Amino acid sequence: MNIQKIRDILDAEVICGERYMDRNVKMACGSDLMSHVLAHIKEGDVLLLTGLTTPQVIYTSDAVDIKVISFVRGKQPEQATIDLADERKMVLLCTTLPMFESCGRLYKEGLIGCSEYDG
Amino acid sequence: MTDNLTSLRIQELAYELRIADAMSTEVISVESDATIMNVRETLRDKRISGLPVVDNHKLVGIISIENLLQSVITSGIEGRVKDSMVSEVVSVNSDEPLIYAVRKFDQFGYGRFPVVKRDSGELVGIITKGDIVKCLLRKLEVNFHEEEIEKYRASHIFEDIHSDHTTLTFQYKIKGGEYKSAGKQSGNLKVNLLRLGITPTIVRRIAIASCEAEMNIIIFTDGGELIVAVEEDKIKVNAIDEGPGIADVEKAMHEGYSTAPDWVRELGFGAGMGLPNIKNCSDEMSIDTKLGKGTNLEFIVNTRT
Amino acid sequence: MKIQEIKDQLSLSVIVDAEHMDREVTGGYVSDMLSDVIANAEAGSLWITLQTHLNIIPVASLKDLAGIVIVNGRRPDEETLSKARQEKVLVLGTELQAFEVAGRLYQLVIGNKDEDV
Repeated sequence: MNIQKIRDILDAEVICGERYMDRNVKMACGSDLMSHVLAHIKEGDVLLLTGLTTPQVIYTSDAVDIKVISFVRGKQPEQATIDLADERKMVLLCTTLPMFESCGRLYKEGLIGCSEYDG
Repeated sequence: MTDNLTSLRIQELAYELRIADAMSTEVISVESDATIMNVRETLRDKRISGLPVVDNHKLVGIISIENLLQSVITSGIEGRVKDSMVSEVVSVNSDEPLIYAVRKFDQFGYGRFPVVKRDSGELVGIITKGDIVKCLLRKLEVNFHEEEIEKYRASHIFEDIHSDHTTLTFQYKIKGGEYKSAGKQSGNLKVNLLRLGITPTIVRRIAIASCEAEMNIIIFTDGGELIVAVEEDKIKVNAIDEGPGIADVEKAMHEGYSTAPDWVRELGFGAGMGLPNIKNCSDEMSIDTKLGKGTNLEFIVNTRT
Repeated sequence: MKIQEIKDQLSLSVIVDAEHMDREVTGGYVSDMLSDVIANAEAGSLWITLQTHLNIIPVASLKDLAGIVIVNGRRPDEETLSKARQEKVLVLGTELQAFEVAGRLYQLVIGNKDEDV
C-alpha cells in the first residue's frame, strides 16, 4: 500500500517527507513501546503507528529501518522530532484518529500486520 | 553497491531530484504569430520533431510535424502557428520531483515535455527520457564514488594495517535521564558500522541491541558509556555505568519483568523487553553487576558468517 | 457483540476469567500508555495492549473496560494475575500483534454497527 493511500484512509496530515508519498509499505505495526518495536518489527517496509512523538521514536525507527511513521490521536511531534525524521528521509503523518480506529481502517483496506507477514 | 541497493538508490534519487535538475534549458520555441514556414525551417535546421509555442515567456501551445503537415494541406505555408498548434499542452512543473516526469512519460507516451514554472506558467526548459537517464547516472556516479571512497577507506583498514591483532574502538558517552535522545548514539554507531562494510543484517542486530543498552543506561543510571570494539571477525559492545546495579539478573532476563517506574513506561520504555532483546540479537552476552557500584553489560556479534 | 463471541471469532485465550463473558463490547482501545487509557478509553471497550504490568488492572477497573487483550503472546506475572482475579478484570491473550487484533475487532464491532444504520 502506498503512503498516499494511507494518508487518505487515515485522513492524516503530512508533516514531512511529502516527496516520498509514493513509497510502499508491506505491513504495519501499532505500538507505544519502543522496545517492542526494536524486538518485533520484521525486516521489510513497515508503517509504524504510535502515540509517542519524542525524538527517540525516530532513533528507534532508524535502528530497524522504518521509513514511515503515523502519529495517532492527533499528537503533534516537536520540532526536534521532525528535523531528525527529515534528515533520515522519513515520512511523518499525523492523524486525529485513535490507534484502534487507525488500525481498523487500514486493516479493512487490506494492510496486514507484522505477525501475518512472511517474507 | 549491489544491484538491489543501486536500484533502491535510483528510486530515491528519482524522488529527491527535481525536474529542474534534469531538464535542458536551451529551449527552441516559436511565437504563436509566426508562420508555418518559419516552423518548417526551424524544425529542419534543428532536426527536431516539435516546438513549444511561447508568447511573452508563457507556454501557450505546442506544434509538431504532424500539425504542420495538416496546416500546409488546409491553409498553405503562410498559415499562422496559432491556428494549427495544439493548445492543450501536457507540461510538467520545474519544482516537481523527477519521478513525476517519469510517470508522465509512461502515461502519455510522448517523447518530450515542456517544463514550466508553477505559478507563472513561464517556459523554462524541456525534458526527454534521455535527460532523465543522464541526470540519474550522473548523480548516481557522484554519490556512488563518495560513498565507495568512504567505504573503501574504512573497510580495508584491517588489511591495510599490519599487526598480529587489530581492534578499532569507538567510545560513546551517554547521559543519564536524557530520554529524549535515547538511541542517538546507537544511530551513530550504526552509520559507522555500515561504513566499515559490515553486512546490513548484522548491523541491524547490533543497532537494536545497543539501542536497548543505551535506553537502560538512560533510564536507570546517571550516565555511562558504550565502548565498541570492532575486530576482524566480531564486534564487542560493552555498556558500562556506575548506576545502582541489577538486583536479580535472572529475573531481569525474563521477558516482561521490569523495575522501571511508571513515568518511564509512559515514555515507551521499561516494558521488560530490553535484556531479553539484547540476548536475542547477540551471539554472546554477559552481565557483570554489583549493587550500588554499577553494571557492565557485554554482548558480542560475530561478523564472519 | 458479546465478549464470548469476540473471544471465539478472534481465537483469544482466557488468561483470567471474570465471569461476565456475556457483557456487550462497545468498541476497542489500543494503547500502551496508562495515562492515555485513563484519559481517553471509554467504558465497555476492549483494551488491546502489550503492557503486562500490575497497574493495567486498576486502570481497566477504574475505566470500567470490558476487558484487556494482551498481545504478542506476552503473559503477565502472578502478581498481575491475582490482582485481576481480585478486581474481577477479564484478561485475554493472543499471539497476534496489536495491529491485527485491532483490525479484526474493528471489523466485528464497528463493521456491524455500520450495517445496522
